[in-house]
Amino acid sequence: MYRIRFHGRGGQGMKTAGRILGTAFFNEGYEVQDAPRYGAERRGAPIFSYVRADKKPIDERGIITNPDLIIVADDSLVNIPAAGVMQGLNEHAVLLINSRETAETWQNRLGTKINIIVLPVNSSVPNPAEMPFIGAACVGAAARLLGVVGQSALVDAIHEELQDQGPDIIKANCDRALEAFEYMALYENCVQQRQAASALDYQQPEWIRPVFEKARIAAPTIHAGLTSVQVKTGLWRTLCPIIEYDRCNRCWWICSSACPHNAINVDGSTPVIDYDHCVGCMVCVAQCPPHAISAIPEAEADSEIKKSMQQLAH
Amino acid sequence: MMLARRLLTGNGAAAWAARLAQVDYIPAFPITPQTEIIETLSRWIDNGEIPGKLVTLESEHSMITAAGAAAATGVRVFTATSSQGLLYGMEMLYTVAGWRVPFVLINVSRALASPVTLEPDHNDVLAARDSGFLQIHCATCQEVLDITLMAYRLSEDARVRLPAIVNEDGFYLSFTREPVYIPDADEVKDFIGEFDSENMQFRASAPTSQAVAVLGGSPYSYFRYESHLAAENARIVFDEICDEFEQRFGRKYGALESYHVDDADYVIFMVGCFATKAKAAVDSLRKAGWKIGLLRPRLLRPFPGEKISQLLAGKKGVAVIDQNLSMGKGGILHCELASVLYGNKDAPPVLMSFIGGLGGRDISQEEFFEIAKQLKQASETNEIPAPRLLYTVDELRQIHKLQAIAHVERAILNRDHQNPDSHE
Amino acid sequence: MNDTHFKRMKDLPSTHLLGTGTPMCAGCGGLQAINDIYDILGEKTVFINAAGCMTLLSVYPFTPFRGSWLYTAMASAPAGAQGVRDALDILLEKKKIGQEENLTAVVLTGDGSAYGMGLSATSAAIDRNLDFIYICYDNEGYGNTGQQYSSATPHGARTSTSSGSMGYPGFKKDLFSIWAAHKPTYVATVIGAEPLDLARKIEKAAQLKGPRFIITLSPCPTGWGFDPQETMQIGKLAVKSGVWPLKEYIDGKIIHTKVPKIRMSVEDYLATQFRFAHLFKPERNTRLIDEIQGRVDEYWDHVS
Repeated sequence: MYRIRFHGRGGQGMKTAGRILGTAFFNEGYEVQDAPRYGAERRGAPIFSYVRADKKPIDERGIITNPDLIIVADDSLVNIPAAGVMQGLNEHAVLLINSRETAETWQNRLGTKINIIVLPVNSSVPNPAEMPFIGAACVGAAARLLGVVGQSALVDAIHEELQDQGPDIIKANCDRALEAFEYMALYENCVQQRQAASALDYQQPEWIRPVFEKARIAAPTIHAGLTSVQVKTGLWRTLCPIIEYDRCNRCWWICSSACPHNAINVDGSTPVIDYDHCVGCMVCVAQCPPHAISAIPEAEADSEIKKSMQQLAH
Repeated sequence: MMLARRLLTGNGAAAWAARLAQVDYIPAFPITPQTEIIETLSRWIDNGEIPGKLVTLESEHSMITAAGAAAATGVRVFTATSSQGLLYGMEMLYTVAGWRVPFVLINVSRALASPVTLEPDHNDVLAARDSGFLQIHCATCQEVLDITLMAYRLSEDARVRLPAIVNEDGFYLSFTREPVYIPDADEVKDFIGEFDSENMQFRASAPTSQAVAVLGGSPYSYFRYESHLAAENARIVFDEICDEFEQRFGRKYGALESYHVDDADYVIFMVGCFATKAKAAVDSLRKAGWKIGLLRPRLLRPFPGEKISQLLAGKKGVAVIDQNLSMGKGGILHCELASVLYGNKDAPPVLMSFIGGLGGRDISQEEFFEIAKQLKQASETNEIPAPRLLYTVDELRQIHKLQAIAHVERAILNRDHQNPDSHE
Repeated sequence: MNDTHFKRMKDLPSTHLLGTGTPMCAGCGGLQAINDIYDILGEKTVFINAAGCMTLLSVYPFTPFRGSWLYTAMASAPAGAQGVRDALDILLEKKKIGQEENLTAVVLTGDGSAYGMGLSATSAAIDRNLDFIYICYDNEGYGNTGQQYSSATPHGARTSTSSGSMGYPGFKKDLFSIWAAHKPTYVATVIGAEPLDLARKIEKAAQLKGPRFIITLSPCPTGWGFDPQETMQIGKLAVKSGVWPLKEYIDGKIIHTKVPKIRMSVEDYLATQFRFAHLFKPERNTRLIDEIQGRVDEYWDHVS
């Protein structure tokens, strides 16, 4: 059985990517199971989808913990433990990552034994955060790595899954998928199917019997305020707002009042962005009267934030 | 201590219990056969006889929400409903039970639509079986009063902290007067104590978010299982409370009423007020030389399974009379009992199922005798008959007459053979 | 409005009370309004919530509130407020708590609950003259489940359950009038994009007693189909085009608090959102656009 997991952010089309690959497998005569997984998370939050494919009926169900192939549409997710990208990643699995960095760089980060393949970021797009048709690109690449899903099955699957989107969008997705398919020729058929868990040799679950705890402990009650600040929703951000303090009017109210996420604090009369919690909606960029806030791709944001902070210090 | 004994209906007893428990808040909604409870309490409040606030909501769904919310704010709450009302509020029964806030809800059992009807059976309250509410069934008006008082102690106990349903049967208790001892108010006050909201309350000085969502099965499983463990605790706590109640008030209760079970070969198992009819039947049968008894759970949640197993160990046969019907399965108590007996090596070999008393249909003494006879036969022949609805030839004949008036097709199709006996 | 604390934009709070880290969508117009509202209502509140997007403000163990919160169910948040209010009053009366421990009960629901499932509970809470504030964030559809049409969906809007070429065939319910017909203490419409108008109304509501109602139109990037950064512009357009009249009901009178001097055409508003894209592409549906404009014009014709 093939077990494949797609990781991306809400809005990057991972659900559709999973469905396209599922349909493509199905078109190739496989039994298939595909499903997206998301909770309360919104656009920009880490989500994943998964696909199982086998020549026999599939009895496994639920989240894949022992993947053969992990596809990461957004490389910033690797550093977010909650995204679960690394779950089940070992020498067996292949990690396909959409990144501007090289496979060697990733190998240095994650370990040399991990089989990492980089899908280069589409350089023709001025804003890399936008990642147009990234889902299709991921599926195209994945199909080649698997080696059992052909181009026509892939194209048919895209047509089937995107039939509501109109011919232009379908064509763009097909082009992008086939481009990625071509690009991965070198790695064709590199994904190997893993055996199912063995009843002869398994890790025993560490079961525990929960004991009674009084309702003052065991009710779904929070006995404090403001605990949500511990959730770093800044991790959802793909675009980053930067204040150019030289141009800031110190009007204070507009960006701070406008921010739906309360992520701009006013210190005296100076707005300061709380990057731990800015989700990158860019309402502040649109609202700032002197246009003192600009949007920078998250990947380039670190140095710009530093510059901005230096300006602020002066 | 002066004991007042007076004639009270079940509803009157319930109202007295709320009064003696000194409840702060009564969210209400009228429904037959419950309405008398809230009318009584409202009158007492309006006359200035008792403190407290009664608010009529616009539905039972809202009523139970308000009950839970007030309990979550830190006051003692009483509420009551019946039948369709309990079902209309069912979403909130499950919801507020998970808040882990204590209060008492009286359910006056009444059969469910469809067809809509007024008289009792237990399908309404059994629909709340898995809600997280504790559930206690009464058989007399005295029990309605006493058990409601005990339910406050049980629900508010730190080892429990779950809301409780006290069930009384519509009509046969709700509108039936019996002599009832009304305990001394101060003694009850001493018995129940002040309401302690623990840390479940809303105060400006202590921000509290209650009933928040969870994401994922792990935290959900923890919270749900903790409610289960709390309900399990209620079994022991209820015994303690019964003991204390007996010491203070002289009336003895327990999770089960066991009537002539100890030396019995055969046992009738049922809940609710029709069980007193079974008691009368047991008396008659004993006079006729039968070794038979009655086992009646008061506690249904938590289910006193272990005690039941012990009491029924070694018996030749048990007949369960279910005043409820789970379509496509049968009697609910029959299933509950089977699940606690299964695998016990001295479990009764015969477990029979009877469905009776649906929608207030009477169960006659003769029917109890016949149940006993069939139970004995089953034990002796080792052939257990299929579950049976208590229903007579005459009843079927009557329904056919009604159908004729209603112009149902049978009137045309069966014109030639009108013998209802042939259906038996 | 002379007695308001909020005379100009600079009077708006410079620090905000609601915590960060909530899982609302980027650019959520509802969250923006709730932030502004919470700045004024403050932490001596208990928010009583019905099922909707904002239910996820508090996901165990995280809450953005400095004060308190109670989740109820979709239909019965006003009844939850009744229980909380009554219990607090009982505790105050019995002197179990002092005034300093008192809280304002604030119901927070989406339009799905306010316009639909919870309307009966709300109506009855007004009958009972419940002392509470009700805030409805209206994103004109069942947003938390992926934007199906609700009783608040505007005519012609595409939702996931009205995806035909004419969009939603029904008409947005006039909840303001329905609520006002109950003669409660206060009813107002607000929008996060007009924070000064919003602040004045919340300030006024906070000072009154009895049932008080706020409906905030909540531009929804996810459900309406626009870039999150446009939340404010779209909110302003809703007001300037006359689609979302800012008004209040008090003492039996309805006052419009911001009458656009020259009303922009509704087309300028509709064209910003994907849910109305079918009115313009593949060809312009002039009839439907004119119909929508006509209804807005008719409304304003009756505003003196």
